Amino acid sequence: MASVAARTRRVQKKGTRSHGPINVYVIVSVVLSVVFLLPLVWAVLRSFQPPSQITAAPSLKDFTHLTLANYSGLINGNIQILRYVENSLLVATGTALLTAVLATLAGYGFGRTRFRFRGANVVFALILVTLMVPFQAILTPLFLELSVLHLLDSRIGLVLFYSTFNLPFGVFVMRNNFLAIPNELDEAAYCDGATVLTTLRSVLLPLVTPGVATTMLYAFLFAWTEFLGALTFITNIKLLTLPVALLNVETGTFGQVNFGYLVAGAVIAMVPCAVLYVTLQRFYVTGITVGGVKG
Amino acid sequence: MADIELSHIDKRYADAEALAVRDLSLHVADGEFMVLVGPSGCGKTTALRMVAGLEDITEGELRIGGQVVNDVPPRGRDIAFIFQNYALYPHMSVYDNMAFGLKLAKVDKAARDERVRRASGILGLDEYLDRKPRALSGGQQQRVAMGRAIVREPQAFLMDEPLSNLDAKLRVSMRAELARLQRDLNVTTIYVTHDQVEAMTMGDRIAVIRKGELQQVGSPTELFGWPHNLFVAEFIGSPSMNLVESRLRLEDDSVYADIGGQPVLVDPKTLSERPALRGYVGKPLIVGIRPQDFEAGVVGTPQRGGHLRTKVELVEALGTETNVYFFVDAPPVITDEVRELAADLGKDEAARIERRARQGRNEFIARVDPKTQVKVGDILDLSVDTAQLHFFDPTTGQHILYGAGQRDRIEVDSRRPGVDGSTASP
Repeated sequence: MASVAARTRRVQKKGTRSHGPINVYVIVSVVLSVVFLLPLVWAVLRSFQPPSQITAAPSLKDFTHLTLANYSGLINGNIQILRYVENSLLVATGTALLTAVLATLAGYGFGRTRFRFRGANVVFALILVTLMVPFQAILTPLFLELSVLHLLDSRIGLVLFYSTFNLPFGVFVMRNNFLAIPNELDEAAYCDGATVLTTLRSVLLPLVTPGVATTMLYAFLFAWTEFLGALTFITNIKLLTLPVALLNVETGTFGQVNFGYLVAGAVIAMVPCAVLYVTLQRFYVTGITVGGVKG
Repeated sequence: MADIELSHIDKRYADAEALAVRDLSLHVADGEFMVLVGPSGCGKTTALRMVAGLEDITEGELRIGGQVVNDVPPRGRDIAFIFQNYALYPHMSVYDNMAFGLKLAKVDKAARDERVRRASGILGLDEYLDRKPRALSGGQQQRVAMGRAIVREPQAFLMDEPLSNLDAKLRVSMRAELARLQRDLNVTTIYVTHDQVEAMTMGDRIAVIRKGELQQVGSPTELFGWPHNLFVAEFIGSPSMNLVESRLRLEDDSVYADIGGQPVLVDPKTLSERPALRGYVGKPLIVGIRPQDFEAGVVGTPQRGGHLRTKVELVEALGTETNVYFFVDAPPVITDEVRELAADLGKDEAARIERRARQGRNEFIARVDPKTQVKVGDILDLSVDTAQLHFFDPTTGQHILYGAGQRDRIEVDSRRPGVDGSTASP
């Protein structure tokens, strides 16, 4: 409370904002938060209700009988959701790591003057152009390609596919992160006796961590939520990822549509996203390069 | 410790036609403080970066401690580079910034710690060792950059305008401190600056560079007293040398230089020392007079054979000295060099130069004793130290040669004038 008051005073002192706009800002923010959070809260609450109540008209007293039945059913029943969670985690983590490594190296190349080459800008523009191609448009050729490479029905195949489509954005982010670091910093390291690799590891990588985190987060979330590709390239039921598995719950591959299972599965799918956002969020905010170099 | 020798070094950037550095030969002796000075874009930083290994050498040979190091990467050259923006590692503490090079050199922990602490003691950084660079002031960051160089005990310090990001007052004190530090450590140093005052006060010797070409190398007194060409004459000294187009006239066996219609006697000694001058009698040439070589006299009592009667246009009383501005009715000397230097100082200065050229009037500055009572509009007789006149060829811009023996006098100068221990702040 005290700090909020202090901040309000500071803001007032600066004279850039008066009381009125701050209140408007707070009200708008609260309204927006409610709009965005309500469906999430609704889903979480519903996931603890038995299926019969989920399909019934909502009433307050329904929320007094909460149960873990949906979750235990999903986990212990013949659906065995944890298997798909594991698949998704493996694929998403693999995608995040591969994308981060490749994007960092590419960004390093594009973002340092010592690696400039004739046509570097054209190459970079080409990479960005691939951002404009929706992968759905080239699903068939991709299917054929993966088939030839024996990467259909393979989690590695999925990782490669997801990484490919995350790389343009990743390279873009990493290039900008490297560009923000003055060249003198590497040069200082070279003069201090560092090799190119030592410089990248000890001096540059710590400074582009926010970019790496952003790249990984986007790649992870993309792979975690991607549906069409996974549906097309995976037919072995044991290798399905979570979104496809949840569709199967809905369309009744495992019997009747069970809305309790469906909503509980959706909540399970939300958990890693929420956790990642909360833990990595500070990297968007912190600019640790600021202030290290003057001028 | 090592000497650094550049021989016939060229630098051509891939995307540029002209050479950034042309045929640069320079020997920096072991322990010497060499300053490279010149207007911005003259190639001095490029030269320094080539010595560091941060820039490829197109042509020529570079030796550090006798070893040819053209193809040795920076880490193999054992040099420390101090950057204009300090380039401190932002994610490391002050301590780690200084210890980084030692860690890479596999110096063991105890020795590392000892060296970092000694350096931080010298630089007064003891209480900041745990801080990150962003939590330091500009002056402190500058010290950390120095510390990072010192702890490595390198063969040479290479400094690229290390003081230009500091405010004026701090710059002066850091200047003295840095010069003293260099002298105490006795490490060979190449220091790049565009500020001639910095060059004059810090360097054992100064190399003046213009458009990638070396103009003159010498001690501060040598450059000030015996500039080899118009560029050096204009660049070194503040206020800069007064230059005027003139003619030499022979009269009763004495030679006079015509300064805006007024004859100024050329010292007979100068004439005998520079026999080439006699060849210019009756021909145009450029005469240079340092503002310091004027003295305010009393009207009607010309002294030592040379004086100028002037009308005071502007008086700048600076306390320690007074600058008197006056016009001389002779075309000003506006050469490419002069334009270039003016452009380097900014748009206003460049415009002023062009205005002067159009008016055909030459503005002179005389630095006189502050006790002199002068005001705008006064008629003032300025005596000229006729032994200190400078003569340049108007077509080549080169100094009209000294006779033999003259150059030897130059070598007797004191080391490092202007920065003795007394001006260094603790």
